[in-house]
Amino acid sequence: MTQFIDRIPESVFRVISAIVIFILFMLILFPLYFMVTTSFKFESEIYSQFSWFPREFTSTNYRDVVVNYRIPQYLVNTLIVAISTTSIVVVVSVLASYALTRLRFPGRAVMARGVLFVYLIPGSLMLIPMYLIIVKAGLKDTFPGLIIANMSFSVPFCTWLMMGYLRTLSHEIEEASLIDGCTRMQSLWHIVIPLSIPAIVTASIFIFNNVWNEYIFALVLAQDDKHKMISVGLANFQVSDIYRVGPMMAGSIIAMAPVVTLYILAQRHVVGGLSAGAVKG
Amino acid sequence: MSQDTLTQPGVSVGSPPKQKKNKSLFAGDVRLGWLLVSPALLVVLGMVGYPFVEAIRISFTDRMVGRGPGRWVGLANYEYILGWPGFTDMVVRTVLITIAAVAIKTLVGLILATSLNMNFRGRDILRGVFMLPWILPTYIIVLVWRWIFDGQTGLLNQILMSFGLITENYPFLAKSGSAVSLLIFVMVWKGYPFYALTFLAGMQTISSELYDAAKVDGAGRLARFRYVTLPGLRQVMGVVILLSTIWTMNTLEIPMLLTGGGPSNATEVFPLLTYHLAMQNFRLGEGAALPILMLPVIGLLVLVVAGYMDREATA
Repeated sequence: MTQFIDRIPESVFRVISAIVIFILFMLILFPLYFMVTTSFKFESEIYSQFSWFPREFTSTNYRDVVVNYRIPQYLVNTLIVAISTTSIVVVVSVLASYALTRLRFPGRAVMARGVLFVYLIPGSLMLIPMYLIIVKAGLKDTFPGLIIANMSFSVPFCTWLMMGYLRTLSHEIEEASLIDGCTRMQSLWHIVIPLSIPAIVTASIFIFNNVWNEYIFALVLAQDDKHKMISVGLANFQVSDIYRVGPMMAGSIIAMAPVVTLYILAQRHVVGGLSAGAVKG
Repeated sequence: MSQDTLTQPGVSVGSPPKQKKNKSLFAGDVRLGWLLVSPALLVVLGMVGYPFVEAIRISFTDRMVGRGPGRWVGLANYEYILGWPGFTDMVVRTVLITIAAVAIKTLVGLILATSLNMNFRGRDILRGVFMLPWILPTYIIVLVWRWIFDGQTGLLNQILMSFGLITENYPFLAKSGSAVSLLIFVMVWKGYPFYALTFLAGMQTISSELYDAAKVDGAGRLARFRYVTLPGLRQVMGVVILLSTIWTMNTLEIPMLLTGGGPSNATEVFPLLTYHLAMQNFRLGEGAALPILMLPVIGLLVLVVAGYMDREATA
């Protein structure tokens, strides 16, 4: 068997690889293709016979989603929560990661190690207590409640990512600036942060994406229309009695457009962050 | 990107700083250090630490949603869960589904990484497409597959019908065998690209000289894979598999939106049961107790993976 495999010529191996890639590629595109085409089909066509391509194009589903289902409102809600969370988390994490990698103070080693543990705690353990605390604080169905819940997983993650980056950054320029009379804060602001922009961009994209794509906490923490997140609004298409495929597909495409755009624009940064074991999934 | 970026090169968590001179530069570090760490510390203690302690406390009460703080009931919730006839089944089911999903993700990820590791045109574009399942929102992916597998209006039924392979709709998600398989399928679909891309990154750091040397020594294709590729990937694979095991085991969205635990509890895994106890039956005490019962397993995995990441970083 071994010898048999070893004797297969390189060209045959390349063909086998191409077939494997092709099959997996098709499996990736299959649901996405039908998601897009179905969003342009009339309801009657969706429920009747199978078709590869819309027999008649329509934008009804998109109009329906925007006019009848308050999707624009949910998008604005999600944007508010995602941007607030990302900005707060980046500031908090940059300060913490700088202190944990550059300053010397008692407790540093324990905290530096603790960051990784906290990052690894799965959300399912935190769901119920987090829900109770948000309710107790009177923050259910509010943006601060959603922001706090999202911060709880983003801060450890972002701090860990930034610590990893700062450790690879040479200390020499910083030390020179300190010798030249900069204070620690001046050195952080004028030297460390400008040098850390790539890592900050990567971290921001991941946090924004995580908030945008988060479903479970959004589901239990905000049920009213004024604060509902896009994920909850869309999943309701399926959960509720009105199970309508066309608007659901159109809504999904609208909901994933921002993250896909962000990903295409910043692919380089995302690939870099991937290696940091960055995303829970 | 190199293999060791997975845990950050040169990282040594908590190791002493490399130079001890220039003491004067570090005067005032203690106060500033605590000052800068305090916001993050506040978040972690207040939003992770406190809820965690709170969860342990609630698990000893009969607290229900909207009924005040509840009474102290000692170990009653734990006894109830452990005595519940379906508990063992649920644990076994969770473990088996997790193992199956992680094993298939590893295998497919390895095969795809090996295939992508060859040089051909358009590889970067392909890599971009293969990242799609990983970047797209989980809930959207599940909603789409849920519709495809739907027993009445599902796409798969329509396709099979139009090719004349079936004459009447098959309820894929309403049969326990197919529901479990499809749950694993969706988990794999969502997860394997992350494996493939990190494995690929790992493979690309393996020196081609090692392969050349192996060839000179007469190693065939399989031997090179076995004795060069796999050892080179050991670290990356270890971290990815362990991390993914933790996250796969705790995935709530996929079973919740795909099958809702059905049919007849066939896909009711641990995080879903927690959710059902607390949010549907409003029994918060039991809902809090269940994750705590699973904590030894999850805690052990977290300890191992954290140790792995630390050790690799300092190595």
